[in-house]
Amino acid sequence: MLTPRIMQHSMRRLAVHHPARASTVLSQLARPVAITSPTLSLQKRTSTTEQAPIPPSTAYSILEQQRLKRPVSPHLGIYKPQITWIPSILNRLTGSILSGGLYIFGAAYLVSPLFGWHLESATMAAAVAGWPLAVKFLLKMGVAWPFVFHSVNGVRHLMWDMGRGITNAQVARTGWAVVGVSVVGALGLALI
Amino acid sequence: MASVEPISQTAEAMSPSRPPVPESKTSTIKEPANEKDARMKTFHIYRWNPDEPTSKPRMQSYQLDLNKTGPMMLDALIRIKNEVDPTLTFRRSCREGICGSCAMNIDGVNTLACLCRIPTETSHQARIYPLPHTYVVKDLVPDLTQFYKQYKSIKPYLQRDTPSPDGRENRQSPTDRKKLDGLYECILCACCSTSCPSYWWNSEEYLGPAVLLQSYRWIADSRDERTAERKDALNNSMSLYRCHTILNCSRTCPKGLNPALAIAEIKKSMAFA
Amino acid sequence: MASIIRPSLLRHCRAIPTERLLSTNASTFSRAAFRSARPMSSSFPSKRPIQSALPNVHLRGSIRVAAFHASGRREILPPLPQKIQGTANDPAPVPDPSAAHGSYHWSFERLISAALIPLTIAPFAGGSLHPLMDGLFCAALVVHSHIGFESIIIDYLPQKRVPRTRALFMWGLRLGTIVVLIGLYEFETNDVGLTEAIKRIWHA
Repeated sequence: MLTPRIMQHSMRRLAVHHPARASTVLSQLARPVAITSPTLSLQKRTSTTEQAPIPPSTAYSILEQQRLKRPVSPHLGIYKPQITWIPSILNRLTGSILSGGLYIFGAAYLVSPLFGWHLESATMAAAVAGWPLAVKFLLKMGVAWPFVFHSVNGVRHLMWDMGRGITNAQVARTGWAVVGVSVVGALGLALI
Repeated sequence: MASVEPISQTAEAMSPSRPPVPESKTSTIKEPANEKDARMKTFHIYRWNPDEPTSKPRMQSYQLDLNKTGPMMLDALIRIKNEVDPTLTFRRSCREGICGSCAMNIDGVNTLACLCRIPTETSHQARIYPLPHTYVVKDLVPDLTQFYKQYKSIKPYLQRDTPSPDGRENRQSPTDRKKLDGLYECILCACCSTSCPSYWWNSEEYLGPAVLLQSYRWIADSRDERTAERKDALNNSMSLYRCHTILNCSRTCPKGLNPALAIAEIKKSMAFA
Repeated sequence: MASIIRPSLLRHCRAIPTERLLSTNASTFSRAAFRSARPMSSSFPSKRPIQSALPNVHLRGSIRVAAFHASGRREILPPLPQKIQGTANDPAPVPDPSAAHGSYHWSFERLISAALIPLTIAPFAGGSLHPLMDGLFCAALVVHSHIGFESIIIDYLPQKRVPRTRALFMWGLRLGTIVVLIGLYEFETNDVGLTEAIKRIWHA
C-alpha cells in the first residue's frame, strides 16, 4: 500500500507547483476502463475494516445505525400502470366518492333544519331542473361513472373472492371489459 | 388539525423517502471504443452508496453496445460491472431463474433480471430500480430481512404429531400431491410482495403475497396436522386481510405462479370452515 | 503493477475534492482543488474558486441538487427509517387470533356487498323501491361505506406509525356513520326515500 501513497504525494506536490502539468499527468494515468469518461464518479470507501474482530453486539449496533440511513426505493411513482392495480385504486376512489357523497348528504340532511337548508327531494329536483343541460349532463356523468364502475368492478371482486376468474388472462380481459362497460353504462345513465 | 401528531419525525434531508436524482441531472457513462454498426442502448440504473449516507440516490445512465451484450438484462448488468463501472452493485447467482437473487424492478415491473430480455429497439431506454418500497442496502440490493422474518413466522415446515404408518415416509395420494402444484415452485424472490401496494404501506404487519402463498402451501398439504393453527395465525385484520385482490402479485410473478389465487383459497377456507 | 496503482491513485486524488460535494466531474474538479492549494482539506474555504472553474452548467446544477437539496414538497406519510425488531433470525411476531377482525369481518363484508347487488338492480327493474326495501338499501350502503372507509384508515394510517391520528379518524368515522344513519332515517321517514329522490333529481 506504499506505492500509491508515494504517487499520491508526488501528485499533490506537482499539483501545487505545476497545476497545468498535474492535470495532464492525471488524465494520462486515468486512462483505463470507464475512467476514459470525464464525467464519472467513482465511489470511495470511507470506512475501513477494523483489525480486531468486532463483537456481535457491536456489529449489530453498527448494522442498526446503517439501517437508519437507508433510503426507500421508489415505488408508486415508477411502477408500470397495469390493468391490475389501476382499476383497483379506481375502485377505492369511486367508492370513496360515492360513499363520501352519501355521508355528506346524510349529515347535511340531519343538520339542515338548524341552518335552514332545504334538502328535501322536491326542492333539490326543482333546483337541478333550472340548470343548463350541459351542467346536468356533467353532474350525472360524475355520479353515474363512479357508480357503474364500482358496481361492476365490485362484482368482479366478489367473483375473485370465490376463487374464479383469477388468472392473468381473465383478469386483464375482465378489467378492460369493466372499463368499457362503465363508460358505456355511465353514458347510458346520464342520457336518460 | 393542530392536535394531530407530526407525521414524520425525521429530518427531511435524511428521510428514507429520497427520490433519486433524475438521469437528466447525472452523467452518462458510455462504453469505451464505439464501433461503426454499434447498437447503443441506454440503461438508467438506480444508484445509492451507503458510504455516503446523506447523499440522495441518483439515476446513473450507461450506454452499452447490444452487439457485445448478452440477450438478458442480467447480462447487461454484469457487463456494466465488468467493463464499465465496477462499483455497480446487485445480487445475482444462478442466471437461470431458480435462485431469485436478481429480482429487481425493470421498466416498471418486478422481475428477475436473468429472465428479462433486453428490448432490442435502441430508442427505448431501460430503467432499472431495486424492488419497490424496500430499504436499499446499496444500488440494486434491497434489504429483505423483514420478508425472511415473516417467512419464518408462518413455520414453513411439516408439522405433525402422528408418526408415519410405515415409520419411514409420510405418504400422500396423487390428488393431494397435485394440490401443491403451483405452490412449491415459489423461489421467494419477493417480486410479488414488493409489487403489492398493500405490502408497500403495511409490510410490518401484512405478510404479503409470497409469504401467504407459502402459508397456503402448508395449509393445503394433506400431511400437515397443524392446519387449524396455521389459519388461526392469519385470522386477524392485518396478516392476511390487508389483501384487497389488487392482483399485481400474479401479474408480476416471474415463475408464472398465482399468489392471488392461493390467498383467495385461504380466505375461502377460513370463511366457510 | 501500474494497472493496480492507477485506479487507487485516482481514487485518492478524487477523494479530496469530492469529500463534500458528491459530484461527478473528475478533471475540472481535480484542477480546481489543486489550484486552491489546499488539497488536504475536506471542506473548501470558499466556493468561488470551484464554481469559477466549472464551465459545465449541468454540473453546477448537480452540485446544487446534491449539496443544498431542500424540497418544499411535503410527502404524505413518508416511510420511517428502517428498524427491525429482534435479530434477523427471529420470526416476525404473530398477532393473537381475532375472528371478529379477521374471517367473520371478511365474510360479513362479502355478504353485505353481495346483498347490495339485488338491492341496486331492483330500482332499475321495477321503478322505486318499497320503503322498507329502500331503508334496507340505505342501511346496507352505510355499512358497506363504513367498512370501506375503515379499511382505508387501516391501510393508510398504520397503528404503530400514527396511533393518535388513526384513533381520531376511527372515532370520527364512527361518529360520522351514526350521524349519517340518523340523517338517512330522517330522510327515509320524512321524504320520498333515497331511490325515488335520486330518480326525481335525475329526471329533473
